Amino acid sequence: MKSISDLTDFYYNTLYPTIESLEEQRKALANRAWRMFAAMALLAVAGIFLRWYYFHAFDALSSMFVIAGAIIAAWRYRHMIQDYRLEFKMRVMKPLVEAIDSTLHYMPAASVSQTLFERSGLFQGHIDRFEGNDLIQGSIASVNLQFSDLHVESLTTDAKGNSHRTTIFQGLYIVAEFNKHFKSQTILLPDNAEKIFGSVLGNWLQSKHFGRDPLIILDNTAFEKAFVVYGNDPIESRYILTHTMMERLLNFKQKVAHPVSISFVDANIHIAIAYNKDLFEPTVFQSLLKYDNTMSYIRALSLAVGIVEELKLNERLWSKL
Amino acid sequence: MPLLIAIGVIALILILMYNSLIARKNQVDNIFAGVDAALKKRFDLIPNLIASVQEYMTHEKELLSNITRLRTQGLKPNLSDTEKIALDQQVTSALGSLMISVENYPDLKANDNIMNLQRTLNETESQIAAARRAYNQAVTDYNNIIEMFPTNYMASWMNLTRKEVFVIDEHERENVDVKELFNAS
Repeated sequence: MKSISDLTDFYYNTLYPTIESLEEQRKALANRAWRMFAAMALLAVAGIFLRWYYFHAFDALSSMFVIAGAIIAAWRYRHMIQDYRLEFKMRVMKPLVEAIDSTLHYMPAASVSQTLFERSGLFQGHIDRFEGNDLIQGSIASVNLQFSDLHVESLTTDAKGNSHRTTIFQGLYIVAEFNKHFKSQTILLPDNAEKIFGSVLGNWLQSKHFGRDPLIILDNTAFEKAFVVYGNDPIESRYILTHTMMERLLNFKQKVAHPVSISFVDANIHIAIAYNKDLFEPTVFQSLLKYDNTMSYIRALSLAVGIVEELKLNERLWSKL
Repeated sequence: MPLLIAIGVIALILILMYNSLIARKNQVDNIFAGVDAALKKRFDLIPNLIASVQEYMTHEKELLSNITRLRTQGLKPNLSDTEKIALDQQVTSALGSLMISVENYPDLKANDNIMNLQRTLNETESQIAAARRAYNQAVTDYNNIIEMFPTNYMASWMNLTRKEVFVIDEHERENVDVKELFNAS
């Protein structure tokens, strides 16, 4: 696998002419989008003014002009950027993914399946909307791996009876083959209770987590502070989470500046990184040539593909050879 | 009436204390069964291992017979948990010495059968290590509850005594470099 600096070189040396031409397209698109927003705002204001002028009313119907304007603007905007988005993904993301490893396949419209998301057991709650894009699939050092952007929502009803969507998870979701055989389920969630209440009270609260398997307390203090572990087989959980693996997972967590949840189910490792935004999307109102944007694509890609090396998933035990 | 309520509350507390003590004790026994299964798996590997190495290893007769003796002891029925724990430590160190000795025999190192046995042993050792750690945690929870107030009174009435934990070797905590191991074998 190529390093971050190799990928940055590739991005600037090979992809730069493409990005420059896309940047021209982006500028024109941003102009058109601003004009469209301005036109929509003008129409909404005109609607409100006419309602006031002819009916002397400033009521719910007046606010409807604003809402309708916003909805039409959002719909139009989505439609406007469609071609530009696809072009960016095919001309920039695809070569970048292939530069990491030629065996990787990039599918901009596809995502990790809902079955694989639910299988992890990481998130509870009924899924109402499951969306995702930018699926990357392949085999790194003989380890099958796939990841994509996901946005998963549930439908909740508040005390007043109004239902609204709540995000269950938004971010990067990675599934990779694990290098050991196991039959049980082990779930690692970010440890918030222990951080707030300390280890004794925190552990007691975590052990009362209904709907989860029994709490597993591990013999690594730093790991215990970072993750809360639930599992249905205390021996197998420790077979997976050896001292070395705990250290590797801690290092991985430190690299990611976002909440990380991990599960070991069905001989696979599932990693959910809550970025809370859609990654691998081109900017519209900011320059495509901006260094930070470029690095965010490269960092997220190397982080996901790098788990094979980081967690040494390619070092297989003989039973999985 | 208040007296009845007080008696009821006290009875409820006693029942909860009793049940949590029993739950911890059973948890230790359950996990020990897992440890036992992993240890048996290792004992099953020993005859094959000895048979494969003994014709090459002429200078380690004593070590080989020691391993065989430990295996025979380990398979005796009615061994107490403490005896099994003590035996495990001896078997682990004897097998460790055997694996180091294998390094001195190039023919043996290159032997497919030995390589396979070494890998199986390595896998079994990691299962045993996991079982030991799970057992130690269960024993720590158990020892805590039988020594803490007020469950310590009930524990002594129930004749529950402290249990031994496995001593986890420092080298077990170190990173096992599988690549190195494969290169060595």
